Amino acid sequence: MEDVFLPIVICGMLFIGLPWVGLHYITQWKRARGLSVEDENLLDGLHDLARRLEDRLATIERIVSADDPNWRPSVPDRAERGGRELGRDFNRDADDWHGRA
Amino acid sequence: MPARYTKFYLDKRNAKWLGVCSGIADYTGLDITLVRVAAVLLTVVGGFPWTLFAYWITAWLASDKPLELEDMSREDQRFWQKARVTPGHSVRDVRSSFRDIDRRLGDLEVYYTSHNRRLADEIDSLR
Repeated sequence: MEDVFLPIVICGMLFIGLPWVGLHYITQWKRARGLSVEDENLLDGLHDLARRLEDRLATIERIVSADDPNWRPSVPDRAERGGRELGRDFNRDADDWHGRA
Repeated sequence: MPARYTKFYLDKRNAKWLGVCSGIADYTGLDITLVRVAAVLLTVVGGFPWTLFAYWITAWLASDKPLELEDMSREDQRFWQKARVTPGHSVRDVRSSFRDIDRRLGDLEVYYTSHNRRLADEIDSLR
């Protein structure tokens, strides 16, 4: 039984599995080739810029929340962010209401 | 020739022999041991002369990793490993991080213009 199955499995791996993997990566490389040198440099620059901006923004946010602890106790988690924004809108509404009164 | 982020290079620094497997691992982000074990297994299982030829030809054709790419941070490496496979996703990731920055800056602006009376007065006096 094993004498029959083993060659079939090996042939399957060699003649189907390998070309499959190869072609899969070739198509992916072709897609990746869509990035030209300028694209790469641009993407690299933007990625770098985004990271630096985020760092600075985080610093500023830390300073502001140290200034006014009510502003934003913790940083960014998507679910939490939604809740916080709701809370702030509510506070703003309350301020408006006080202003009118 | 300038260093390319999406080009295959031999990784001599982590090389066991000629740096092809480590280059593949560096290029794809796969675990280096996994790549080596797969290469050895492939050779043992039946690809005996061919995998070796492929290895040599790759080592002969591909160039060494340029110095400026050697000292990338882990985070950059991961970013480019993703960008090699799906550049579109990486572009979208960068855009979304810019949007996130914009939104957070907007929050700050709103805070400083609506809660900070003193600053608001200053701005009014400038108008």
